[in-house]
Amino acid sequence: MKASAADAGGSVAELTLRVAETLARLHQARDVQVGTTAKRAVLSVGKTTLYEYLPLTRGSAGCKVAPLLICFALVNRPYVLDLQPDRSLVRRLLEAGLSVYLIDWGTPDESERYTDLEDYIEGRLGACVRHVLHSTAREALNLLGVCQGGVLSLCYAALHPQQVAHLVTLTTPVDFHTPANLLSRWVRGVDTDLMAACGNVPGEVLNSLFLALMPFRLTQEKYIRLLTGRPEQRAVEDFVRMERWIFDSPPQAAAALAQFVRWFYQENALVRGTLRIGGRRVDLRHIRQPLLNLYALEDHIVPPDACAALKQHVGSRDYTACAVPTGHIGMYVSRAAREEIPRQIVSWLNARA
Amino acid sequence: METASGGGGFRPEEAYAAAAERFFELLKTFTRAGSGPGSAPHDWSSLAGPLASQFEQWLRLSQSAGPWFTAAGAAGMPPGSTGSAAGSFGPLPFGPAAVQHPEAQRVWELVARLTQLQAQLAAHWSEIARSAAQRFVARVGSLSAVPSAEQTLKLYEQWVSCAEEAYAATARRDDFARLQSELANVSAALLVEQRRHAESLVRAFGLPTRTEVDALYAHIKDLSRRLAQFEAGARPPPARRAAASRAAGKSARSKPARGKRAKPKRRPRT
Repeated sequence: MKASAADAGGSVAELTLRVAETLARLHQARDVQVGTTAKRAVLSVGKTTLYEYLPLTRGSAGCKVAPLLICFALVNRPYVLDLQPDRSLVRRLLEAGLSVYLIDWGTPDESERYTDLEDYIEGRLGACVRHVLHSTAREALNLLGVCQGGVLSLCYAALHPQQVAHLVTLTTPVDFHTPANLLSRWVRGVDTDLMAACGNVPGEVLNSLFLALMPFRLTQEKYIRLLTGRPEQRAVEDFVRMERWIFDSPPQAAAALAQFVRWFYQENALVRGTLRIGGRRVDLRHIRQPLLNLYALEDHIVPPDACAALKQHVGSRDYTACAVPTGHIGMYVSRAAREEIPRQIVSWLNARA
Repeated sequence: METASGGGGFRPEEAYAAAAERFFELLKTFTRAGSGPGSAPHDWSSLAGPLASQFEQWLRLSQSAGPWFTAAGAAGMPPGSTGSAAGSFGPLPFGPAAVQHPEAQRVWELVARLTQLQAQLAAHWSEIARSAAQRFVARVGSLSAVPSAEQTLKLYEQWVSCAEEAYAATARRDDFARLQSELANVSAALLVEQRRHAESLVRAFGLPTRTEVDALYAHIKDLSRRLAQFEAGARPPPARRAAASRAAGKSARSKPARGKRAKPKRRPRT
């Protein structure tokens, strides 16, 4: 193949045309909707809201499976689990007849800078659990912890095992000192007292931190792939929904974030057995209920080893692990995971009902 | 870091447009290297310099002092303006304020340290950019001509892989991890100093300070926690409540079956 300026010019012209087309589609896709499955707020604690999703099937009221409470991470918004009708873990669970509740931690302001992990775990998560148990007249519910929310769920289940019938963890780090954990290496020397003294941490800071783990791929390549790929309008809208979620990060309550960094990332206290919440030791061996651990094999934020370590530390005899060949966010929305994850959860819960 | 949400808000088109602009810049560089005069053989090794330079510039702009500095930036110190950052701390050096205070000294020390750390970070960006360009040139050495549009995209993919590999090799090193932590700590310390200064101004106007508000908040929180403990102590555990509720339900359901329908209570006439 010979080089010529005309060839080069042709390539650039063709790509420019594709970019222009995609930019026009992006403009049309600005007002996409997210989180459209019907739900109602049933409890409010501070900035935290507990939602109950309205059933999609008739039989869910008499469902044998206990209600499922989803505890999402503090660092992102939970609507990624209900991004759009065809990419919605929540909707798939409802279609299977489960009764689904979701905790939205809300947007902490400066009045919440001293809200700590005890407040989140014992206060808010605890209040949500008690509300669901009371309103459904159950002794125990099923708890699904997602990412950082999985860590909070593990703590809660260890402290209150009698209230959790089955525990499902999704992309949940347990051992924070595995070699592949870049985030953990970066924050190991952070002065958490100083961090807490600075007040709430803006969502943009954490977002930048996550993007800095793979900056070129996450802030350049994905756009180029979209811009040059001649995607359909629908694909562009899917992309915009995802972008909206990625950059919609709430600020973090200073005290809670400082504790999370110190106790988990720095001290690895969960697996060392040194973690104390509200004066009580969090012992993962107290988790004896059936446990389903779902994690991603190509996760750059929570490496698979960090999740897989759970098996060695819990007391559950009925332990099931499922590693999915996708990335962190792919676990919530990728084509591969969007059917696989709900199917795994539903069949695992039904088998134990 | 420069992101679609940098400074808050969701601005997708800006991010796409910026990424596209950088993409075309890169394409131009590919094209220049591939289109030698006439039918001259292509010297892909000449790409290394321009690519490294472009990548380094992008890293400097987008990563500035690492994600941590955003916090300090949000408080009125745009990344890259550390030289003037000290100006936002402390009063102007007139009259009594001309006397050097220990706080001002501390701020200057922090600004100096931040500048040193930024220089260290810049050295890392240089190294990453150089290494990425070398990797890329080594991989595309077998290509013989200017590629088509599809091939150009493959070339771009190759470049991204090289850039990420070079970045990861540095980012995983202990010295880089220590630098990230120290940048976070110095940025946070600057923010604390800035707030301390703001508190002295607030006090001068007789307004409640953050420290005072925090003390009140801590007091309320302590009271709330005690109240919650008190309430929890007075309430039966959920299992017992659920059992009681089920028993109540069963008893209510079973009554009609025995044919003893409860008579509705008659309201006393008043």
